[in-house]
Amino acid sequence: MNKDQFLQILSNGLKKLPAEEREDIIRDFQEHFQMGNQEGKTEEEIAKSLGSPKQIARELVATYQVEKVSEKVTFSNVLRATWAVIGLGFFNLTIVLGPFLALVGIIVGGWFTGISFALSPVLVLLNLLIAPGTFSLFEMFLSIAFCGFGLLLVIGMFYLTKGLIKLFIRYLKFNINLVKGGLKDE
Amino acid sequence: MNTQFKKGVLELCVLALLNKQDRYGYELVQRISTQIEITEGSVYPLLRRLKKEGYLTTYLQESTEGPPRKYYQLTDQGKSHLFNLYREWKQFADGVSQILKEGVGDE
Repeated sequence: MNKDQFLQILSNGLKKLPAEEREDIIRDFQEHFQMGNQEGKTEEEIAKSLGSPKQIARELVATYQVEKVSEKVTFSNVLRATWAVIGLGFFNLTIVLGPFLALVGIIVGGWFTGISFALSPVLVLLNLLIAPGTFSLFEMFLSIAFCGFGLLLVIGMFYLTKGLIKLFIRYLKFNINLVKGGLKDE
Repeated sequence: MNTQFKKGVLELCVLALLNKQDRYGYELVQRISTQIEITEGSVYPLLRRLKKEGYLTTYLQESTEGPPRKYYQLTDQGKSHLFNLYREWKQFADGVSQILKEGVGDE
């Protein structure tokens, strides 16, 4: 691989980054090639010691996505960052995807339970409309108790969701820093 | 060596090399790669991350040969980060060498 091929692949891999940042990265590598050249190395030699431009691009994109999600949490940002970190290597598939699914499970389950509990008096009233004469005071009180519990759960889920997402983002950062090493495997 | 371990080491090396003087990217890469076998390209994503985290700043400086070079400089925050990492590393390395000495050291 020569310099142009290396930079082309790198640049292609960085399409998700803002143009300014992408150009800055390309400049860094151009500088690197230039200095290697001054030391009498060929473009091929330099490219070989730099390693895979695809992998370098993946790492840069993952850092960028995780940084973006730390600034603004939206569902699509979380998804993108998770996906980018998973893409770093096979190892990440298990250690990132697992916690991610657990996170989604807890959040969806918690909200669903909370909201359905909170709405349970409505269900009792609905039942009354469908089948009048079956009204039971006991059901009504029970549903009100559930409603209270559901509201508390919803409030709790509000904070828990925030906290869990924050924790997960920190976990993603930790993964970028640690999992894909810069040293060769041999 | 185990992959989980490596990135932390590379980070420590980069910070340590910048502690006494500012250096440009190529120089950093060469300094490290003469001592440890690395995929050289991964130093650049690391440098960008360290900069974003506030541990480094960069500036351009003209050179006698060729275009200006991008120099990396350690910030105060970077310095204290370096010493934290260094302390952790030292503890770890001392522990390992102690075990090695007992296990496979000179009789």
